[in-house]
Amino acid sequence: MYWVSVVTEAGIFAILALGLDVVWGWGGDFDLAFYGYLALGSYLTFVLSIGKPKPPVEYIIGWHLPVLLSIALAVVVVVGVAAVVGAIALRNLRGIYFAVTTLGAVSALYLLVENYTPLFDGYNGVYGLINPGQSALNLTYNGYRVMFLVVVLVLLVLAYLLVQRLSRSPFGRMLRSVREDERAAAAYGRPVFFAKYRAYLFGAALAGLTGGLFAIFISAFNPSAWTPQELLVIYAAILAGGRGNPRGVILGVFVVYIGFIELTRYLPSPASRPDFGPAMRQILIGLMIILILRFRPEGLFRERPGLDRTPAPASQRVAAPTGARSEERGTSERATREEGASKAARRRAGEIN
Amino acid sequence: MTTFLVTVGIGLSTAAILSLSAVEFTLEYAVSRIANFAHGEFLTIGAYVAYSTQTTFHQNVAAAAAIAAAVGAVAGLALNAGVIEQFRGRSAITVLIATLGVALIAENVLDIVYGAANVSYNFAQGELHHVGPFLWTTSDIEVIISALAAAGLIYLLLQRTRFGKAIRAVSQDRSLAQVSGIPARRIVMQTWALAGAVAGFAGFALADTVGTFGPLLGFNFLLLTITATVAGGLGRPYATLGGALIVGLALQIAGTYTSSAYEFVFAFLLLVVLMLFRPNGVFVRPSAVAVRA
Repeated sequence: MYWVSVVTEAGIFAILALGLDVVWGWGGDFDLAFYGYLALGSYLTFVLSIGKPKPPVEYIIGWHLPVLLSIALAVVVVVGVAAVVGAIALRNLRGIYFAVTTLGAVSALYLLVENYTPLFDGYNGVYGLINPGQSALNLTYNGYRVMFLVVVLVLLVLAYLLVQRLSRSPFGRMLRSVREDERAAAAYGRPVFFAKYRAYLFGAALAGLTGGLFAIFISAFNPSAWTPQELLVIYAAILAGGRGNPRGVILGVFVVYIGFIELTRYLPSPASRPDFGPAMRQILIGLMIILILRFRPEGLFRERPGLDRTPAPASQRVAAPTGARSEERGTSERATREEGASKAARRRAGEIN
Repeated sequence: MTTFLVTVGIGLSTAAILSLSAVEFTLEYAVSRIANFAHGEFLTIGAYVAYSTQTTFHQNVAAAAAIAAAVGAVAGLALNAGVIEQFRGRSAITVLIATLGVALIAENVLDIVYGAANVSYNFAQGELHHVGPFLWTTSDIEVIISALAAAGLIYLLLQRTRFGKAIRAVSQDRSLAQVSGIPARRIVMQTWALAGAVAGFAGFALADTVGTFGPLLGFNFLLLTITATVAGGLGRPYATLGGALIVGLALQIAGTYTSSAYEFVFAFLLLVVLMLFRPNGVFVRPSAVAVRA
C-alpha cells in the first residue's frame, strides 16, 4: 500500500510537471506562481464538495457538490485567475521580471490565504474529503486507493498524449519559435503574447486538475502544503528529465520523487534533529539543480528538434544587437539574447547608470 | 497624528534595513547582470553568525555586527566564485534558478545546524527615546544611523574611488572594462564581498529589530528587498535607496491602518503594480519602459 501511495503522488506531480513544462519548457517563462494554481484548485475542490463549515472552522462557499463536478469548477476558476495573472505578467515582462512578478503574485495570495481565515480557514486549512464515492463504488479503503492510482495513471497517459500531440502541432512549434527568438517570431507574424498566454492558461488548467487530484489524495490542504520550496522540486524534476521533452519530464518526476525522496527517507534522523532527513533531501535537490544547470542543462532526454530538416547553423541564429553570446546548450538561448537586446534598448534610453 | 508619526518612525527603521539589503541586491545585479535569489541567505547567515558568537563577545553589539559582516563577505565571495562566475554567459534566468538552488541549500544547512525553531538575541533593545516626533528604541537609532553611514560610504566609494569607478565601468560593459585594463574579474569579486558584508550586517540588524528569527528570515525578506529595488530601478544604487524608503514607509503605514498580518500582502501587490506600470522604477518616465530582461 505504501508504494501505491508513492506512485500515486509521483503520477499526480507528473501531470503538474507536464503543464509546467508547456509554460516553461516550451514557452520559456519561469513561472513562480505555478504552485499557487495547484493550491487554488485544491482548496476550491474542498470547499465545493465538503459542505458547510462547522464553527469554529470557517471557509467560503461550502457547497456539497459531487467531487468530479467540484474539480471541473475548480479548474474553471483557476484558469480564470491565471487569465488575470497571465494578462498582467506576460504582456511586457520577460525573464527575471516575469519571475519576480509571479513570485510577488503568489506570495500575496499565500499570505492572504494564511492570514484571512474566512477564506480557507487560514493556517489550519481545509480537510474532510476522504475517499469520495467509496461506498457508492462498493470498494474497501485499500481498493479505493488502488482504483485512484489507476485513475491518476490513466489521466497521466491522457495528459501525455495531449501534450505530445500539442508538441508537434503548429501551436507547439509556434510557442518554441517564440521562446527561441521573440522578435523573429513576431516578424514572421506569430502572435507572441497570445501564444504565451494560451500556453499559460493550458498549464494552469493542468495545475488546477492536479490540485483536485491532490485534494482526494491527501484529503487535507493547508498553507504548509504549498511553500515555494515545493515548486522548486518540480522544476528540478523537469530539469533532470529534460526540459521541453514530455517523456523526459515524466521520467524526471518519477526519478526525483521516487528516487530522491524515497531513498533519502532512509537517511538517519537523530532524535535531537528530527528534520535532518527532510533538510538533507532539500539540500540534495538544491545541489542537483545547480549541477544539472551547470553541466547538463538539457537533462537526461534532450528536447526533440522540430520537423525542420535543415536547421540553420548556430552562428546565424544569434541576432542580438550587442552580439550577446549564447553559450546555452540545448533549449534556453532566448533569455540571453533578450538580455542583450534590453541592455541595448535601455542604454539607448540612457537608463543604465 | 501621533500614531501616524510613530508609524513613520518604525517605517524609517524598516526602510533603513531594507535600503542596506536592496542597495546590495542592486550592486550584485549591476556587476553580474543577474538577480541573486540567494541574497536573502546572506542576511540569514549574518543573523545566525551573530547569534552564535553573542556569548563569546559578551553581548557586544559592535562585535556581533562586525562578525556578521565578515562572514557575509565570505559568503558573497563564495557565491560569486562557486556559482555566479561558473554560469558566466548563461541566461539571467538560468542563474536565477541556480541561486534559488543555493538558497534552498543554505536554508536547510542552517536548519540542520540551528534547528527549524526560531531563536532570538539577548541584546538589550535599550529604552524608548523621543527623537523629534518619533519614538525609537536605542537599537532602532543604531540601525538608522548605521544605515545612513553605510549609504554615505557606498556613495563615496562609488563616486570618489578608483574601485567605485571600476564598478561603474564593469556594470556598463564588462568586456569593454576588461580591455581598458580594468581587472574586471577582481572588481566583480570585490563587489560581491562588499555586497555580502553589508547584507550580512543588514541581516544582523533585521534579526535584532524583529526579535526572533528562523532559517527563512532572509528568504522572506528577499521579496521585500526586490520590491524596494524595483521601486527604485534595478541596477541603480542611488534610486534604490529612494525605493527602499518608499516601500518601507508604505508597508508600515498600510500595516498600521489595516492589520500587520497584511502588510506583506500590500508589499507584494505593490510589486505587481510597479511591474505593470513602472518596471524600470518610479524615478524614470514610463515612456522609457522597455523591460525585456
